[in-house]
Amino acid sequence: MSSVVIAQHVSKAFGSTKAVDDVSFSIEGGRITGLIGPNGAGKTTLLKAVLGLTDCEGTLSVLGLDPFRQRKELMQNICFIADVAVLPRWIRVSQLLDFVEAVHPNFSRKKAEDLLQQTKVSAGAKVRQLSKGMVTQLHLSIITAIDAKLLILDEPTLGLDIIFRKEFYSNLLNDYFDGERTIVITTHQVEEIENLLTDVMFINDGKIVLDASMESLPEQFVELMTSGESVEEARKLGPFHEREVFGKNVLTFDGISREKLSSFGEVRTPGIADLFVAKIKGAA
Amino acid sequence: MLGNQVALIRRELWEHRSLYVVPAVLGIIVVLIQMTVQTAVSVFDTHIDMALLGATNIGPNERGAIISALLSGFSIVFVIVMLVLIGFYTLDSLYAERKDKSILFWRSMPVTDTETVLSKLLTALFVIPVITLAAIAATHILILFVTSVWVGMRGASAWHLIWSAAPLFDTWSATSIFVVALTLWMSPFVAWFLLVSAYTNRSPLLMAILPLIVLPLLEKILLKSTILADALMSKSAVHMPIFKNVDLETLVNKETLTIAAENGISLLSMLDVGRFVSSPSLWLGLVVCGLLTTAAMYVRRFRDEN
Repeated sequence: MSSVVIAQHVSKAFGSTKAVDDVSFSIEGGRITGLIGPNGAGKTTLLKAVLGLTDCEGTLSVLGLDPFRQRKELMQNICFIADVAVLPRWIRVSQLLDFVEAVHPNFSRKKAEDLLQQTKVSAGAKVRQLSKGMVTQLHLSIITAIDAKLLILDEPTLGLDIIFRKEFYSNLLNDYFDGERTIVITTHQVEEIENLLTDVMFINDGKIVLDASMESLPEQFVELMTSGESVEEARKLGPFHEREVFGKNVLTFDGISREKLSSFGEVRTPGIADLFVAKIKGAA
Repeated sequence: MLGNQVALIRRELWEHRSLYVVPAVLGIIVVLIQMTVQTAVSVFDTHIDMALLGATNIGPNERGAIISALLSGFSIVFVIVMLVLIGFYTLDSLYAERKDKSILFWRSMPVTDTETVLSKLLTALFVIPVITLAAIAATHILILFVTSVWVGMRGASAWHLIWSAAPLFDTWSATSIFVVALTLWMSPFVAWFLLVSAYTNRSPLLMAILPLIVLPLLEKILLKSTILADALMSKSAVHMPIFKNVDLETLVNKETLTIAAENGISLLSMLDVGRFVSSPSLWLGLVVCGLLTTAAMYVRRFRDEN
């Protein structure tokens, strides 16, 4: 499948601060990519550029379109959930469906209504009467009913409790994702989405510090837990991050084989969250 | 494009229910007041023959003129309320969506910023006036209906006294022309309000009004000139070149101070559409409206909420 997003030397500055700094990457169709970074890393700015909500330097192509200049065409094939709070609070659920049906050529009202049937969201309710979790269900139902090629989720489950978060991702996988659609997702709760991602991108200080597929992670990154003299020996192999857990040292390596490291202690593949911290702190 | 406009304008009416609720409530209040006055008059009704509208001691032309004048008096109230509604609507229209962040949802739909801002301009300059005119017409009919009942209860013919005498077509045509002319005349202010609404981060009302006062004042103090003040004043509603130079003496009988309308009064004949359409000030205003609206579209498109 061809690339859905191609970014070449994309930058975006606000005054003297560079929110996105000379970033190049591509996202293939049919993948679920996690864009992970600390607050202020440039995630949202990058997503906004992809969505055509903000102009940027460099070349950015999304579904073959220039997002900023061809936003209307792009929006026929892209959906996004920016935050749980963005549905207008004064609107009725039925009005929302009326509106999307009128302006969106790829929206199936029936599908949205079927999905809403499975929730407690009633057609006559106003958004302001719904709980945060229900608003997100409503938004996801609408988006799932849009036959779009790319879905962008920016902190979609922020402020939701664990039940709604789990449900959100299971609905996303069951109802939305069909292997052809592409999803880009950012979140702070990395552990919760770890097992649904196919690719991961870490972003820090406006730069991409890691861009890899999930399958490639175990080959590339190894965590070694060791203590005593072995630590000094292992350090010679150049770990990019080190931390202490229960009096033991955990060293994270990039591109060092498991076999080589297993002689020093216990080896394993780092979780996304640990890898993320290691990458960000290791770079600092 | 057109389909989107319909959906977008419908959306505006969902969000701003006051745009039709206020004229409707105003109509009800006007009719209630008229009923109260009529009932009050009927209590003392020994000399006032059928009260104002049903007066039988004057000719149908004069009665028509009185009805027309009375109805137009009510219309003016609606038009003033319309201007207030347009002002508050435009100030809110591009500000509220940023305040509650719903702009991110609206912009996730395949609708351009140009279409969105245009729908708000159309709502202000076309939809609100049409609602106002409909409310005016409905109120007029209700008032005449109430009067008919009142007259009928006194055994007179409401058809003869009121409906056949009331120059409704003339009144409504003239009111429509006036309202359309007024919105076009005020359009640069409407677009200015839209721009402020798209731009400001706080108190849009203040940000819209303040420059209109401060800038002419600064010009007066610093440059000792009054170009801005003159330009703004010339665009006020009272300077709208829509009326013919009507000699008041033809309307009012000076000696008896009664309406001199034996031949009837046509509101339509008092309007001078040619003079209005050929006024350079109108066209200059429309150009300014276009420029400010374009600016509002650009602000919505390029503005970054970070």
